[in-house]
Amino acid sequence: MQHLDPDRLVLLALSEEQQELSETDHLAQCAGCRHDLDSLREVADLGVEAQDLRDLPPPPEQIWRAIEADVARTREAVTNPAPPVGLAGRRRRAARNRPRWLMPVIAAAAAAVVAVAGTVAVDRFTGRPATEQVMARATLTPLDTVPQAAGGDARVLADGQMRIDVRNLPLTTGFHEVWLIDPDDLTKMVALGSLTGAPDVVLPVPPGTDLNRYRLVDVSDEPHDGDAAHSGRSLLRGTLTS
Amino acid sequence: MSSDDELAERLRDGDEKALRAAYDRHGAAVLYLAQRLLGNRADAEDVTQVTFVAAWTGRDSFDPQRGTMLGWLLGIARRKAVDRMRSAARDDRVTETVRAQLAPPDERETPERIVDRLVVADELGRLPDEQRRTLELAFYDDLTHPQIAAVTGLPLGTVKSHIRRGMANLRRRWEVDGAAFGSRSAGPSRAL
Repeated sequence: MQHLDPDRLVLLALSEEQQELSETDHLAQCAGCRHDLDSLREVADLGVEAQDLRDLPPPPEQIWRAIEADVARTREAVTNPAPPVGLAGRRRRAARNRPRWLMPVIAAAAAAVVAVAGTVAVDRFTGRPATEQVMARATLTPLDTVPQAAGGDARVLADGQMRIDVRNLPLTTGFHEVWLIDPDDLTKMVALGSLTGAPDVVLPVPPGTDLNRYRLVDVSDEPHDGDAAHSGRSLLRGTLTS
Repeated sequence: MSSDDELAERLRDGDEKALRAAYDRHGAAVLYLAQRLLGNRADAEDVTQVTFVAAWTGRDSFDPQRGTMLGWLLGIARRKAVDRMRSAARDDRVTETVRAQLAPPDERETPERIVDRLVVADELGRLPDEQRRTLELAFYDDLTHPQIAAVTGLPLGTVKSHIRRGMANLRRRWEVDGAAFGSRSAGPSRAL
């Protein structure tokens, strides 16, 4: 099979010459040449459109000054860190020493708190309480197919809720859903709810959930297709540790 | 490309002058993208600002092996613009999805398309002079190879090889930086 010559492909992509019948036949059969031609056509179209971008005005100086000021602020924050090592931090260190078998007990206790208190979603409106107790935590990292700047953090709070904080998730036409998955059997999972786009979102963990088993936190991209099952398109994942 | 690597290295080392260099080089493209996505100048300027600040604080995450600095910055800018649209939607108690707001009247004006165009324009600007000139005559002036040879005084064979190589360079760059942008990337892998 005679493939199309690279020069010829370029001429066809630029619509400078017409396809001959034998070439049309070949393209119909040869996925490789077809792909090359499609890509080159796309590039040629983009090249034509790029004309408008040749003389973009230089970016304004006032934006740079604002960037500079922000960067200076982050530098100060690094050299003079505020001391917010509050209860949550200490609590976490203490929790790390806790034996693993205690986890279901903790989860059950947390669930009991929720069951008794009913809807304790007050902090959703009043902001983070100063004495937030973190029972378990997961750092969420992007899967290979996801831009590597994406990430997040999930904390299971003493009141049985999960505070989840994500950043740089890729654009989606659907929504982002949070799951707790059993890493030993990936078909078993609990849906916690969807992210709203707020910097951090608090979702209730269903009472009685065994966080020892469902310890893999997963954020997925869900299409608006009315299918409540996991789409299979995971974006972020992390394992809960106490 | 090598200057991109060098810039990345200086950025990772915490050299603020490298951030300024990145702003000088790519700030216009970031602002253009933000303005196209958001449709208003003030928001676009804000997004440009937070994009470069995020690039600075997240500078360790830039990996020149995965794409160019422009591709990386445009990726950040796109996500920041989407964040901005989402929070605007919340503030206004607007219930439409982000998609509805993003839906461009012109089918070609998807965010991906704008990014791809910026990437190709950037690569065009980096090509060796004669390659760039022959391609510009083909793209903008719609000249054929023989016409380009006549205009430039270059032999037809040289014009051909400039155009072929130039197109190959644009395509490579487009595939590298375009691939990072969701729609065309690896495709949905059923992770479960």
